[in-house]
Amino acid sequence: MDKNKVMSMNRRIGRRLNSISLPSEILINIVLALFCLMCIIPFIFVIIISFTSSESIRQIGFSFTPVQWSMDAYNFILKLGDQLWRSYYNSILITVIGTVISVLITILYAYALFRKDFKLRGFFMFFCFFTMLFGGGLAPTYYVCKLMLGLSDNYAALVVPMLLNPFNVIIMRTFFQTSVPTELIEASAIDGGGEYYTFFKIIVPISKPGIATIALLNSIAYWNEWFIPLLYVRDAKFFPLQYLLYRMQSQADFLAKNASMIGPEASKMIANLPEHSLRMALVVLVVLPIACAYPFFQRYIISGLTIGSVKG
Amino acid sequence: MSKSLATLKSPSRGFAKRKKTLLLITMVLPGAIWLFLLRYVPLFGILIAFKDYKIFSKAPNLWNNIIHSEWVGFDNFKFLFTSTDSLKMIKNTLGYNALWIALGLVISVSFAIMLSQLTKKFIAKTYQTLMFFPYFLSWIVASYFLLAFLDKTRGMIPNLQQDLGMQVTDWYNTPGPWPIILTLANLWKYVGYSSILYLAAITGIDSSQYEAASIDGASKWQQIRYITLPNLKPMIIILFIMNVSKIFNSDFGLFFTLPMNSGPLIPVTQTIDTYVYRVLMTNAGNPGMSTAASLFQNLVGFLCLMGANSIVRKVDEDSSLF
Amino acid sequence: MKKVISIFLSLLMLTMIFTGCGKKIDNDSNDTGGDNSNVNATDAPDATDAPDATDVPADTAEPTPDISKAVTLKWYLEGSNVTDDSEVLAKANEYLKEKLNVTLEPIWGTWGDFDANSVLAINGGDDVDIYFTCSWTANEYNAFARNGAWVRLDDPENNMIEKYAPDLWALLPDVLTQGAMIEGSSGYGVYAVPGYKDIAQQNCWDINVPLLTKYGYTVDDIKNTDYYGFGEILQKVKEGEGEDFFPLLVEGAVLERMVNNSIIVTGDSAACNILSYYINPVDTAAEGAYGNKILNKFETPEYKKFVEKTREYYLAGFIDPGMGSANQANDLRSAKQLSGEYLIGTQSYALGYEKQASKERGFEVAMVPCTPAFVDTTSSQGAMMAVSTASKNPDRAMMFLNLLNTDPYLMTLLDYGVEGVHYNIVNGEAVFTDTRANYIPWTNGMGNITLLPPQEGQGADFWDGFKAYYGSAKEIPILGWAFNFKSVENEMGALTNVAAEYALSLSVGTIDPTEKLPEFLQRLKDNGIDKVVEEANNQLKAFLDAKGE
Repeated sequence: MDKNKVMSMNRRIGRRLNSISLPSEILINIVLALFCLMCIIPFIFVIIISFTSSESIRQIGFSFTPVQWSMDAYNFILKLGDQLWRSYYNSILITVIGTVISVLITILYAYALFRKDFKLRGFFMFFCFFTMLFGGGLAPTYYVCKLMLGLSDNYAALVVPMLLNPFNVIIMRTFFQTSVPTELIEASAIDGGGEYYTFFKIIVPISKPGIATIALLNSIAYWNEWFIPLLYVRDAKFFPLQYLLYRMQSQADFLAKNASMIGPEASKMIANLPEHSLRMALVVLVVLPIACAYPFFQRYIISGLTIGSVKG
Repeated sequence: MSKSLATLKSPSRGFAKRKKTLLLITMVLPGAIWLFLLRYVPLFGILIAFKDYKIFSKAPNLWNNIIHSEWVGFDNFKFLFTSTDSLKMIKNTLGYNALWIALGLVISVSFAIMLSQLTKKFIAKTYQTLMFFPYFLSWIVASYFLLAFLDKTRGMIPNLQQDLGMQVTDWYNTPGPWPIILTLANLWKYVGYSSILYLAAITGIDSSQYEAASIDGASKWQQIRYITLPNLKPMIIILFIMNVSKIFNSDFGLFFTLPMNSGPLIPVTQTIDTYVYRVLMTNAGNPGMSTAASLFQNLVGFLCLMGANSIVRKVDEDSSLF
Repeated sequence: MKKVISIFLSLLMLTMIFTGCGKKIDNDSNDTGGDNSNVNATDAPDATDAPDATDVPADTAEPTPDISKAVTLKWYLEGSNVTDDSEVLAKANEYLKEKLNVTLEPIWGTWGDFDANSVLAINGGDDVDIYFTCSWTANEYNAFARNGAWVRLDDPENNMIEKYAPDLWALLPDVLTQGAMIEGSSGYGVYAVPGYKDIAQQNCWDINVPLLTKYGYTVDDIKNTDYYGFGEILQKVKEGEGEDFFPLLVEGAVLERMVNNSIIVTGDSAACNILSYYINPVDTAAEGAYGNKILNKFETPEYKKFVEKTREYYLAGFIDPGMGSANQANDLRSAKQLSGEYLIGTQSYALGYEKQASKERGFEVAMVPCTPAFVDTTSSQGAMMAVSTASKNPDRAMMFLNLLNTDPYLMTLLDYGVEGVHYNIVNGEAVFTDTRANYIPWTNGMGNITLLPPQEGQGADFWDGFKAYYGSAKEIPILGWAFNFKSVENEMGALTNVAAEYALSLSVGTIDPTEKLPEFLQRLKDNGIDKVVEEANNQLKAFLDAKGE
């Protein structure tokens, strides 16, 4: 911590001596601001559409300045059937369970690879990293999951196919290499701690930033996944949110035709379904948790990834 | 228990060692089992590429289906080398990837340098946060974003075109602009992320180097040229090698969901991955052809990685991956 | 060195586990698959040419079917619009439990999602017992029978038709039982139970009558003209109804066939139907317009004329751009049919459908036929139910299909819903209630619809008329022939991709034919369409020669 402070102070002084000219700084600001706008504008646009009345959409289409605002879409969401909430629940469940299990598997694997005194280290290293280079492809993997492993129409089908990412193993192993002194393990062994005791009581606490990184990467991956459900899930009760969005996109009347989606109360008003704003409102609901949370966790990802890719 | 073992030392040393290895094996085991089942067993499914894959109707399971399907040699690969479409999809995959690797590199490094030059920390932080946002979104969400702009009857751009009295473009049926749209979408999603990675590397550069240079009268450009870029080199190279190894893979979501699976756009949106998927979903081709395409993709990707790595090793041995 | 050792180790481990796996699975197959010699027989390179009926283990004789074990049957249907099936299933399962000790679990596929999802389910070996299949869906009957997806029902080793469904077979018209006989993975035989529905093919213009009269036209105005003369009417309605209204509600592929009197070549549906046979529009039993020949349908002058007109209509705003999106077209179309947001639509017709449609949509619908009804291979395989080879209880599935197709109570319950809830019987006709909106399976897709009570307005003697109408339908000369694309599979794969790119868009006018049609034809040529057409014609010639003998 202290060291960082000193460094940043140095840098600040350096800046003063060695900063760029005002015109170039303005130019840089314009370029970056434009790009940032491009990153964020689509989401703002979708939020605006979700608050636009159907009448306004009919008249002038999607617009940043609708002629009439409306809460219809969100009122409708409250009346929607179980499906949306069920999918919300599924997404959260899959994300939480998937993240916990995948993090556990990843850090254990990475830790063993980090241990220089592990006899089979070379073998398991190769065993893991080879899969980054070579795989069976979509069809064989699909057949194995469905026909041999029974990953079909159950929660396991949504969690298992994404449990391990060799890239995360690399990140984690590198993290251990840079932040865990070997003496610590030796000391713990002399103190009589078993391997698991050492791992959970000593290694895990000092590796929190690294673990946080892969936990976040994994939870984003789980939250955003729609292709795995497309392949392995047919029953709507397992649909996660992202897949729901996919179905709404690929099937024009998915909203109107799906009983559990529309629900008994809303189906009475199906004629004035604010279809377009409703879709966009659902998009907002999917993005919102991420939009709220990521400013807080982005720095973990940055630090973790920097270590992983620089030294990997 | 273990304490006594540790203190007893010599006679049970071998035992303790074996025990340690065993315990470490139990640690890798969950991951190893997963890798075996979901990554290695499918390797055996590559046989499908050389077979006329059929369901063995007497007792259908994967083993029987494969064993009882007829060998057809390289028949399933013929498609890849005979039809004009396969050429197109290979061209698309390679072309987009090459373009995006180059563009992504130039733009992200420039953005990272720009960010590092900003004097107001607060503004730089805000830019970073905003830029990073698209990285956290799925392509499905992005496809709705795009639809809001391009939808034929309600989209903003067609409406704008109409208001201006221009010919309204039917975006989802006009392949022309899509290479640009896809490129923009790709940059939109990933540039922020890689800029921030590069920025982190730049912040790690010892600032005294710059100070010394500036005292010697080096201009900003010279500082970038002679200090920043050389310091970024290892990272650029690693990311480059990793990207090149994936040059035969494509971001499935980008190519599949953004164009809404639209037929007329296929010439500019079909990549090996979307092809492999489309064949699996319809019955015209067969799983053999799908697997053959994957295998081809894998082999060439592997060769590309090896090639890139050996080139890098020739140029700068320290930077190569292995 | 270390690396070499580790590679060696991993390979060793792999082979060890694989051989272990293999053994275990082989044992499994002995459990389910019966005799080993039989397994070997099918292992022979060309299983389809060598019917494996030769060495049969003698455990086939089973006098009374054993139904002591409770069984759940999953049933994948097409074209459903079902949002609440709880009441129907409660009743049906109570009945089935008693009769067959079966619990039914329907999967209500819709027009939009059935194609992709059913193929994925079959390929993935999902534990679905019964699939809807036919000549025109993606899980096409002939191709998937060859792929081993369907259980052969008249397998000499285990003839389930003889065992469980002799009366059903006696009751079905010959066209259907003959049409179901095909070359499949276990030899020449029956691989699905054909549904007794509209056997003949007939395409109609589906007219929204109230809207038509609103603009001062009558159904006769439609009858007296043809597709090329619709322009004026469409224009007037478009102007009256506004920007968002698209008067011409088309299903791209169907529209083209209607206008040009061409038909689907069975076996080619996976490839967007690049092949076509042109029927004789006046006398459908006579030789087709181009002789008994298969053509690349996009090459004909008829097709060119058609796409040019369609493009004109599209640019005039008569056709919804959504119809050009393969993902959305089907569902969009049915939604618009229900809401009446169209003037002229396309519809493949079944006798009495205008009455049914008027009821369902809540306004008067008229059907104007383009050709007389005719029977082709496609329509004789128009709606079938196949037992999946992945099913663990094929016998019970077959018993269910037999019961469904012979028992009026069960058929009516599953098709119409619960009496008193979804429909009432008034004067021998079924009158639907409002609750029916929650439960509308595809009536004609389920099975033997002649068991159903006629719907309101059809008349109590509807089924006599129905049977007579379809009994007299003429058979086209190439009836019974289905294209087997095995020998040109590479070309078909490539052509499918090309067709997916152009066919739908051209047929609904979303792209410009003057530029795109020649380009399309060139790409078809480049990818071997001529070879496919030639192969098809060789097969057809062989078929006709055999038929003539």
